[in-house]
Amino acid sequence: MNTDTPLTDWRELALQFEQQINQTVIGLQPAVRNIVLAVFARGHVLLEGNVGVGKTTLLRAVAQGLGGDYQRIEGTIDLMPADLIYYTYLNDQGRPCVDPGPLLKHGDTLATFFFNEINRARPQVHALLLRAMAERSINAFNRDYALPHIQVFADRNRVEKEETFELPAAAKDRFMMEIHIDMPDSDAVLDELMFNPRFHDTDRLIQDVTGSGVYYRLNELAQTLQQQIQTSPKLHAYALALWKATHRPQHYGVQLSDVEMPQLLMAGASPRAMSYLIRAAKTRAWLENRNHVLPEDLQAVFPVCMTHRLFLNPMYAYRKEQLLPELIKGILDQVAAP
Amino acid sequence: MRIALILIFSLLGCSGSIDEPVSYFNVETPRPFGYLNGDEIPQRIIIETRSGITLQTGSLPAKGQINRWLNLNRVTVKQSGQRYQIDLLYQVFYAPLEVKALTLPGFTVQLSQGEKTVGKSIPAWTFTLSPLRELVVRQTEQGEYMRPDSPPSLLANDRAGYGLAAGLSVAAPIAAYLGYLYACFPGLSRRTVFKRALRKLAGLSKADMAQALTLIHQALNSLNGQPLFADRLSDFYQRNPQYRQINSQLAWFFNYSNRYFFSDGMIAVTQDLQQLKDLCERCRKIERGSR
Repeated sequence: MNTDTPLTDWRELALQFEQQINQTVIGLQPAVRNIVLAVFARGHVLLEGNVGVGKTTLLRAVAQGLGGDYQRIEGTIDLMPADLIYYTYLNDQGRPCVDPGPLLKHGDTLATFFFNEINRARPQVHALLLRAMAERSINAFNRDYALPHIQVFADRNRVEKEETFELPAAAKDRFMMEIHIDMPDSDAVLDELMFNPRFHDTDRLIQDVTGSGVYYRLNELAQTLQQQIQTSPKLHAYALALWKATHRPQHYGVQLSDVEMPQLLMAGASPRAMSYLIRAAKTRAWLENRNHVLPEDLQAVFPVCMTHRLFLNPMYAYRKEQLLPELIKGILDQVAAP
Repeated sequence: MRIALILIFSLLGCSGSIDEPVSYFNVETPRPFGYLNGDEIPQRIIIETRSGITLQTGSLPAKGQINRWLNLNRVTVKQSGQRYQIDLLYQVFYAPLEVKALTLPGFTVQLSQGEKTVGKSIPAWTFTLSPLRELVVRQTEQGEYMRPDSPPSLLANDRAGYGLAAGLSVAAPIAAYLGYLYACFPGLSRRTVFKRALRKLAGLSKADMAQALTLIHQALNSLNGQPLFADRLSDFYQRNPQYRQINSQLAWFFNYSNRYFFSDGMIAVTQDLQQLKDLCERCRKIERGSR
């Protein structure tokens, strides 16, 4: 159905990329699909999951597969914003030197910036990232640095709460997706992960991923893609209904057990959230080889794009792990299209 | 000399009454006989005091049980100037075997002037209480002569009954219709979704394709209880297995609807509308259970 040749070629590349990642990190197909969507929609990704389920490996594999300059930093409690921008040291002659830090080292060719354990870093660091993520630029040494290609991947584990800082709502909103990584549940995959020596050495595993080198053309592609994929008036109406339902779910017949629905939400989805949702949905339509967006595209990306953007009232916040997925499912179940 | 004696005597006469704190005192009681078990006996005490002397109402007997057979039901004190009117209402609970003399106990009320207090005693009062019946209950031909009260006669309520029946016969159909409109009978309305859809579909032409598709979507949604999408058809079949036989037609419908509503350049032809009507007919047949 898709007749545009460059887009079709790109789609082949994207599918190959996805397949390669799936061979490197096995049993995480839904998460890989979402990451591919975020990469081609040019959105930042936050991974959340238990310890040792492959979050870091997955992100490293994606970064390796995409190519482009790569930087990585570990979130720690004493990390300060300046640590991302420069570092100071004494050189061989004993003279003090100032060198660019991870964010500035590659200048405007920085492609993938991988923030490990982001919730261990302080809010000051989150604040610096806010601008880097939203505007793709930072201010340092009295001038602005543009980072046109930056793509932030972050991960956090949800086991520990000590010595961690909850990401502020503004920082969360700048991530296109929050992807939840769970243990693979197929026995064959688990067996493979346990006994196949290939998966024991992650460094070698990552090196096997061949860089596609396409990274620096992604911005251009994403722009074409967003323009080429069509949305119909009925789809606009459906997206609008979904948006409204994130603010007043009770008006759409969503009812959760033991919840006063009008008091449940403190904030629904923001306009940025909806623009991210549509971008991701268009990318999915493209990957599915269509030139128009269907409601199923919106439904597929709705949970990963929305769950981290809805804020519950403090009264219900302690049950958010249970309530938010139910709310998202309720909204998708109750809003009709057409 | 006579004048001096008169003066002394009259002064002596005055001196006693000046010291007395109460200028007027009276206990008003009713007849002292002819009371029965459960009767109430009022007693009124009137006291007028000298100026500056007040009655201590706390010294009056407290409302409640006085002794085994006597209750004090009410105590009211009315004051106008130096005059106090104390109304006590006793009730006796005593079942005597023959006429018996009983005594309302006396008590003392306290009057005070500054820090000094003076007691004024209210005398006990004796009255007689009669039994309700003879000691040995007499039997007559009709049985005991003690009988319960006759039951009260019923008020006529025929008109209210007829009014209620008439009101209910009007209200019940209205309530049922309202319930139907508010979809309170899901089973009933779910058995006629495609019947209604067919009726509306009959009047549509291929120009109204969007409306026709929406009609069938709505019918499927209300049958499913929530919006139905193509990727949720398998759940739908689990709940409504009889619709599995038209799987291919339903898949065509969803595919067609997606193309019609969400991609551009789709032109509806009469054949498509006919196919929609066929789908609806088959659904209606499944709904009626005839397939």
